[in-house]
Amino acid sequence: MNPPEAIHESYTRRIWRRFHADTMARNGFRTIIVLFIIAALAPFLANSHAIVRVAHGRVTFPVFPSLEPIEWRFLLYVPLAGLAWLLRRRLLTRPWRGAGLLLAVIVLIEIWLAYHHVVNDPSNDRDRPATFKWMPLVAYSPLETASEPFLPPSWTHPCGTDSTGRDIAARMLHGARTSLSIGFVAQSIALSVGVTLGSLAGYYRRWLDIVICRLIEIMDCFPPLLLVLVAISLTESQNHMFYIMVVIGLTTWTGVARLVRGEFLRLSNLPFTLAAQAGGAGDLRVIVRHILPNALGPILVVGTFGVASAILLESSLSFLGFGMQAPTPSWGDILNESRLYIDFAWWLAFFPGFAILITIMSYNFVGEGLRDAVDPRLRIK
Amino acid sequence: MTTYLIRRVLLLIPTFFGITLLTFLLVREAPGNIALVKGGGGATGSRPMTAEQRETLIKFYGLDKPPLVGYAAWLQRFVFHLDLGDSWLDDRPVVTKITERLGLTASLAGSALLLSYLIAIPLGVIAAIKRGQFADRAISFTVFVLYSIPTFAAALLLIMLVAGGDYLNLLPMYGANSINASEMGPLAWTWDRIKHLILPVICLTYASLSYISRYARVSMLDALAQDFVRTARAKGLPERLVILRHALRNALIPVITVFALELPVLIGGAVIIEEIFSLPGMGQLMFQSLEAHDDMTTMGITVFVSILTLLGYLLADILYVVVDPRIRYE
Amino acid sequence: MALLRVDNLGIRFGAAGEAAPAVDGVSFEIAAGETVALVGESGSGKSVTALALTRLLASPPARYVSGRIEFEGREMLQLPERELRALRGSGIAYIFQEPSSSLNPVFTIGYQIREAINLHRPEIKEVTGEIVRALNTVGIRDPEKRLNDYPHQLSGGMQQRVMIAMALACRPRLLVADEPTTALDVTIQKQIMDLLKELKQQSNMAILLITHNFGLVADFADRVLVMFHGRIVESGATVEVLRNPRHPYTRALIECVPKLGQKQHRLKVIDYAGIE
Repeated sequence: MNPPEAIHESYTRRIWRRFHADTMARNGFRTIIVLFIIAALAPFLANSHAIVRVAHGRVTFPVFPSLEPIEWRFLLYVPLAGLAWLLRRRLLTRPWRGAGLLLAVIVLIEIWLAYHHVVNDPSNDRDRPATFKWMPLVAYSPLETASEPFLPPSWTHPCGTDSTGRDIAARMLHGARTSLSIGFVAQSIALSVGVTLGSLAGYYRRWLDIVICRLIEIMDCFPPLLLVLVAISLTESQNHMFYIMVVIGLTTWTGVARLVRGEFLRLSNLPFTLAAQAGGAGDLRVIVRHILPNALGPILVVGTFGVASAILLESSLSFLGFGMQAPTPSWGDILNESRLYIDFAWWLAFFPGFAILITIMSYNFVGEGLRDAVDPRLRIK
Repeated sequence: MTTYLIRRVLLLIPTFFGITLLTFLLVREAPGNIALVKGGGGATGSRPMTAEQRETLIKFYGLDKPPLVGYAAWLQRFVFHLDLGDSWLDDRPVVTKITERLGLTASLAGSALLLSYLIAIPLGVIAAIKRGQFADRAISFTVFVLYSIPTFAAALLLIMLVAGGDYLNLLPMYGANSINASEMGPLAWTWDRIKHLILPVICLTYASLSYISRYARVSMLDALAQDFVRTARAKGLPERLVILRHALRNALIPVITVFALELPVLIGGAVIIEEIFSLPGMGQLMFQSLEAHDDMTTMGITVFVSILTLLGYLLADILYVVVDPRIRYE
Repeated sequence: MALLRVDNLGIRFGAAGEAAPAVDGVSFEIAAGETVALVGESGSGKSVTALALTRLLASPPARYVSGRIEFEGREMLQLPERELRALRGSGIAYIFQEPSSSLNPVFTIGYQIREAINLHRPEIKEVTGEIVRALNTVGIRDPEKRLNDYPHQLSGGMQQRVMIAMALACRPRLLVADEPTTALDVTIQKQIMDLLKELKQQSNMAILLITHNFGLVADFADRVLVMFHGRIVESGATVEVLRNPRHPYTRALIECVPKLGQKQHRLKVIDYAGIE
């Protein structure tokens, strides 16, 4: 009898397989994808403009001119990501080419967005007569005060209306963008800063480690509220989203940094690091190509949980009144409003609360699934 | 080991400088200042100040000097006289303002910390022992859902269901004591205070509880997989002792060290809770002083919270050394 | 009557129908005071067999599908919990391969030995003295001071001696040594084996030595059992087996041991295709 053949499986493939075997994690992941798709399609799901309108013999698409840049971004980048995923094999075999292609597309999109002129058309197509019109599912824009305030959920207003008569379903659908993008971008910032500082501290040690550890401690003790207030007041515009992302990112990187530092302290002691260095690899190469891939597992886990907590943080900030200001819809903001009217308008609190809960739970499921998939101590089935 | 500790304490000093300096600079950078707040008139009905009067105020509070000079002055006052100054809003000593609210926040955070540990550790241990079985899955799922509920949503939900409102009216909705609290005897007063704090403590506890119980579970699973557990069984120890004496003792090491790190987290979380439940604690004070540009109080609170946090880290390090013999006897 | 009798033992892991059995129809006997070596490579099932003797295998993945284990006439696989626990440590004691991880890092070695003594020999009042005596027997110097040391403060060889002391403290009738020297370097290996030989002579304790190294067997065991893929393929007196190995696997194993003075260009490797 021969000894069994060793099964060769790449690291990422194995993690993916283990992740997929976990039902909860799989469902969480799918839910997140659905959420992103919904967020991308929000302008088509809830809008006062018709998707297609035929009038006076002309076919128009009233939705498109009024799309804001961020709506365009979601609309274009989410399918782009999907496309990249489907073509991942071909892209990965020529990584530089693939990256260059993606970058070129992104640059083109951004340039176009910079010059694109948004038409702000407050009129709505519900009332305008037309030969044929195809209205979105929820025929209300998140910004217009179309109906009576405090209407309970109904067919026209699936989630009811808020204190100024705005449709909540529309605000929910459009608010998904806010939460998802803030979570994603804020955490990306936190990860970038955290991984960089953590890896430097863990690899070089000595005085660099001491300095970075002090930095970490300083950021930990720093009142984030202060930073938020200052950042917000530095900008005149109503659209605080960018600043909130940056602030959340800059205040939550410490957890990542600590973790990465710990991993680097451990990994840089292992023989493979010495082997790489002895082979003539420069520091940057050792850090990025040798040590970092080994630390990737825990980093992914922390990153996923970090997105969840970033979304929570943004909701909390909006709730306290510091986050996104009306009229930009945000789930936390809607919840904030609901405080005063909760006795009789339960729908004001229920829908955004539920949405936040589902989103965060999904991210947490994915995080847990990743953690189990990456854990080397789990016996491989 | 003592040299290690001394080094750690010494290293706290530059951190402290960093925090206070950064806070000071940021507070100065924020547009608006105390003179505008005080001199704006408005709701208090007083006449708005003239520009000269505002100028005088600005000079009085030292806001016309460059930030570093102001920081140096503040620092000198604190380091040499341990004086945090007087609040710019109501001229009372900052220390007084903090201490009168400290009790509430401390009892809030302290109870939450204690409760979460008392509940989380048994939950985590049971989940680990009964891994894969119903108990484990039920606990894990529940903890999971709890972990995902935003604090304010839970607070709203609880208020809606249990306090005030149309449903049950068991607990009060806001404040630390009822309006007629001063007329109560000490026992009634204490009971009243407890009733007011139950919901806030629950809100503060449940998230921390979830996190700690997950941590305890993983830690216990790790410990149970170790070789020495097999040795303990081979010696003939009853399973109960194997788990509770040998495995648990090892599993608790990382869990306990997290303990000291949780305290600052809880104090931060208390801010939202105090806001929702209108509790006159330190979180609320921070809020108010930020809005009113009361820089002195803001600095005072920052000092306080950061010292607490840094001490928390120190405590975590010390605990780690005390609890794990491998570190103690290097 | 044999001290230990294993009859057609079969153990499987995982759900039914999955993979080959870890232990497949193993039978052997150990007489009181006898030293038996169970030799085989990694994965042959020898450790599983050893752990099965007191049902130390984690029972959900492991299943005892067939056979009996009789220790001093009692059927181990059917024994109720309490009686089984009474036998563990006092009837059959174990020492394991990795002494550094087999001792609990948060308790002193004195405490861990005391635990064993309190459990199985409650009649002893002067426990500390007994611990010191046990440590002395295994050759640890300054045992009074060592009592309060933690495992990580000891070297690998000393840790293994402590394990042996702990195992012996309860006067077991059978000592199962699962690769006791594999994790130690060669000079320490010899010291530990010499210690075991010494202890063997001092008491009437039977020893079951699990190893993959035939080199340890010659000077130590009375009988040898060769295990391959869950089955015993050869058994007999050590001298006989070493001189006249009958099974091709045994032969291959013996040839793997490098001999002093012999010129070898390549180390011998076992050709599995030639076996079975």
